[in-house]
Amino acid sequence: MNVDTALKNSIKKNINDLMDSSADYVDVRYLLNDDSESIMLYNGNLESNDTTFESGLGVRVLYKGTWGFAATSNLNSIENCFQQAFHNAKTAASLVKVPLSMGKKEPHISNFKSPVKIDPFTVPLSEKLAFLNKIDEQLKEEWILQRIVRADFQKKISLFLNSEGTEVERELYNVFASINIMALDNEGQMQNRTHDLFTTGNGTRGWEMLIDPDLFSGNIERIKSELKELTKADSLEYGKRTVILLPTQAWLQVHETIGHPLELDRILGYELSYAGGSFVDLDSFGKLQYGSKKLNVSAYGSIENSPGSFGYDDEGSPERDYMLIKDGILVNALTSRAMINEANQKAGKQIFKESGGAARATAFYRAPIDRMTNVNILPGSDGTLEDIIAGTEDGIIVDYPNSWSIGSNREHFHFGCEIAWEVKKGKITRVLKNPTYQGHTIEFYNSLSAVGDRSTWQVGQVDNCGKGEPNQVMQLGHGVPVVKFDNVITGERK
Amino acid sequence: MINEKIKNIIIESRDIAAEKKLQASFLLHYENSHLMRIGNNSVSLSTSEELFRLDIVVTIGSKQGSHTQLGDISSIDQILRSLEIAEEKAKVANDKDYTPIEDIVDEEVKEESQYDSDFEKLSPSFKAQAYAEIFNQVGDKYNYSGSWSSGYTEQFIATTNNRNTAYHKGTDQLFSIVLKHPEKHWEITSSQTGWRKDDFSVESVIKQLKEYVEYYENLQPVKIEPNKYTVVLGPQAIAEVIEMAIYTGFWGRIYEEKQGWTSNNKFGDKILGENISICDDPANDNTFKFKFDLSGQSRIKRMLVENGIFKGLMYDPSTAAKFNKQKTGHNIRSSSISVKCGDGEECPLEAVKSLGDVLYIPALHYINLPNISKGIFTGSSRFNALYVKDGKVVGPIYSSRITDTFQNVFGDVAKISKADISVNLSNTYGRRAPVASSVPKYMVCRGVKITDSADSF
Repeated sequence: MNVDTALKNSIKKNINDLMDSSADYVDVRYLLNDDSESIMLYNGNLESNDTTFESGLGVRVLYKGTWGFAATSNLNSIENCFQQAFHNAKTAASLVKVPLSMGKKEPHISNFKSPVKIDPFTVPLSEKLAFLNKIDEQLKEEWILQRIVRADFQKKISLFLNSEGTEVERELYNVFASINIMALDNEGQMQNRTHDLFTTGNGTRGWEMLIDPDLFSGNIERIKSELKELTKADSLEYGKRTVILLPTQAWLQVHETIGHPLELDRILGYELSYAGGSFVDLDSFGKLQYGSKKLNVSAYGSIENSPGSFGYDDEGSPERDYMLIKDGILVNALTSRAMINEANQKAGKQIFKESGGAARATAFYRAPIDRMTNVNILPGSDGTLEDIIAGTEDGIIVDYPNSWSIGSNREHFHFGCEIAWEVKKGKITRVLKNPTYQGHTIEFYNSLSAVGDRSTWQVGQVDNCGKGEPNQVMQLGHGVPVVKFDNVITGERK
Repeated sequence: MINEKIKNIIIESRDIAAEKKLQASFLLHYENSHLMRIGNNSVSLSTSEELFRLDIVVTIGSKQGSHTQLGDISSIDQILRSLEIAEEKAKVANDKDYTPIEDIVDEEVKEESQYDSDFEKLSPSFKAQAYAEIFNQVGDKYNYSGSWSSGYTEQFIATTNNRNTAYHKGTDQLFSIVLKHPEKHWEITSSQTGWRKDDFSVESVIKQLKEYVEYYENLQPVKIEPNKYTVVLGPQAIAEVIEMAIYTGFWGRIYEEKQGWTSNNKFGDKILGENISICDDPANDNTFKFKFDLSGQSRIKRMLVENGIFKGLMYDPSTAAKFNKQKTGHNIRSSSISVKCGDGEECPLEAVKSLGDVLYIPALHYINLPNISKGIFTGSSRFNALYVKDGKVVGPIYSSRITDTFQNVFGDVAKISKADISVNLSNTYGRRAPVASSVPKYMVCRGVKITDSADSF
């Protein structure tokens, strides 16, 4: 990393100056490069051919138990940015009933780089377009009315410094891509099938991931065939039945009803005015039977290839691998330094031992908040997808979310999916369109009756998780297997 | 801020591009934002951002490339470098199967009609004092959270197609507070939007919170069983459901590609109840007004639904070019959706006196669209939701889900408030882009489907 020495010294001097002025803690994120590229072919037309380059500095100051933050893209006046952040903190300190604390941590000097073979920003646009054009050509059919092929690339090079002396350099890469096709069904309704670039959790995450046919382009014929079937399919009828979630649906289920309710800032009430709260409270840890004994959920999971694997969070804490739910019992949350101190203080005991490394900020101009890293259901012992289908009397398999609506405390949910397959007496009988299912989170996870083995497990890449005020879009991952739930309300009431 | 020096650099860059026979547009966006977050009765974050973003689009025949630079734009060299990146991308791009409509600033514009210099100077301490007053007046035994976003934006557009420039400067704010009972877990809220300093009134926030605290403290909660109900939708619910209905029914691309719930209709068809009229009105002061869109086109009032009849669609330039339609000034981040009021009483409880059992649902949380072709939406009640019988509040209701169609919910509306209100719909992902709709304070909708309910708030 090539950080200008004078700039780095200036940042350190300004940190020291604020500490000398009675700040409790100061940290700085300098994004040397925050580059993104978006390419979208819409029916073959290149409707998005855009790059965005961002660079700047974000300063966070803790003063008398409250945060002040300021950001600037003007590196000629970073002192003003420090002073603005300090001023914001001082003003905020006039209204503090629950002082925040970062605790004390030993300083460390660290670095992290996403595993990448080919930096996507070194691949010429012409090569990228040739690759995506070829996919678009393969999608063309008279009955397919819309074809959308997109790829998004991100590269973030950052330096983190704090008043404890910690320094972390990071170089993060993301590649997201999707193929979406649409056709009218026999009732004139538009049906969709989509495939997103996913990972196995292993390997590298540069351009090479996109051109691996197993992960992306090799799925073209499958989604075309499934879309064709959808255009002739009946709608799912309302009723209670078993629901089998494929990983490309299960990751969103996990995201919305395990990931978000376990963000500690939500549990403590910091997101009430926008994203909402959580049905989980501080008494729930170690006691709440979140799901059946088959439910085991980890944070991070030491997945090397995922957008939720970033080495160190935006407070300089290492990303940690730990269990959130063990044998169905809730045991931990997604945490950052200040939140665990407040939670332990409120609970009057030590629920959380150390930060989970989950404080993340989307850009230099946003302050870190508690986010998901990778939130994963661990593979189970109920065999392959075929084994799970064979053990199902009356149910549906559902895939790919087209709608998701969740209660404000994540206590209930409603999902719509692109496609369902009816299962009767252990066999798939037909395709059904317009599938929806709904439930109440705790009841739903306690009805978990089968968890697929490692052969069914894959990592869904999430490029657009929204949270916080000002809003922040974050990238993360979910490693999930096939999962089966019983007695679920499916379809819509007449 | 965007001063004359910066404008001149943009104009000089435009002229250089024009000399090179490039077709290019330049959009400079500036924001000066402050946001105070409240959590657990304290200020949890006070944040300021001052950011410049420059978007450049280059069109070569039917090829386009674009580049956005967030950072220092004070030198022409940096802007020319961004222009070069966009140009290189356009050169390599695929040809489109249509010819893009060229961006052109219709007329010289300098718009500052929603700019309040007092508001620009709104201090963080003013915000902290207001929150403190609310805690003191309503009671500090409750947990409070909230946020107060305020700021101003400037936009400056120039294109190589003529010498005109368009400039907009405006202030905007969104105040919100959530009060939560620490043991019973119910939540009530109050929010205010506007662009003037005087648009915020701490007294009215305190009054509204006290009114709802009275209901929630003294009345038993009610669990609603799935069925059809008469539902009084409040302003936030109306604004958000209408926003979804507009996006999926009145955007030209969605309609032309037969993806939307209006795609099988034609202009003149009856699609909603006869008392429903909706337009995009860039002159409505309840919305954040923009005289021009991001392609430089002047914006005018456009009827979408009039007395339930399908009247119009909104076309951005690329959709218009693709489908051979006229663009309508809708290359925008900030539409000005306005829903016509009726003659209903000022107070929603008065309006439903003779209607027996009704649900008052002022806001819906996390609305989504399980079936766009059919116009089905779903979302759940959250704050301030009440069970009402003959105009009297029976009790607060537990979180309840509506899953229904736009056509049904706005197809049989018994009463519409005579008063309107501004509802802030801004999302601040990325850049500050203020959006507000003007909606009636309530609509009484018959036969609305409640499809699920929780045992908690």
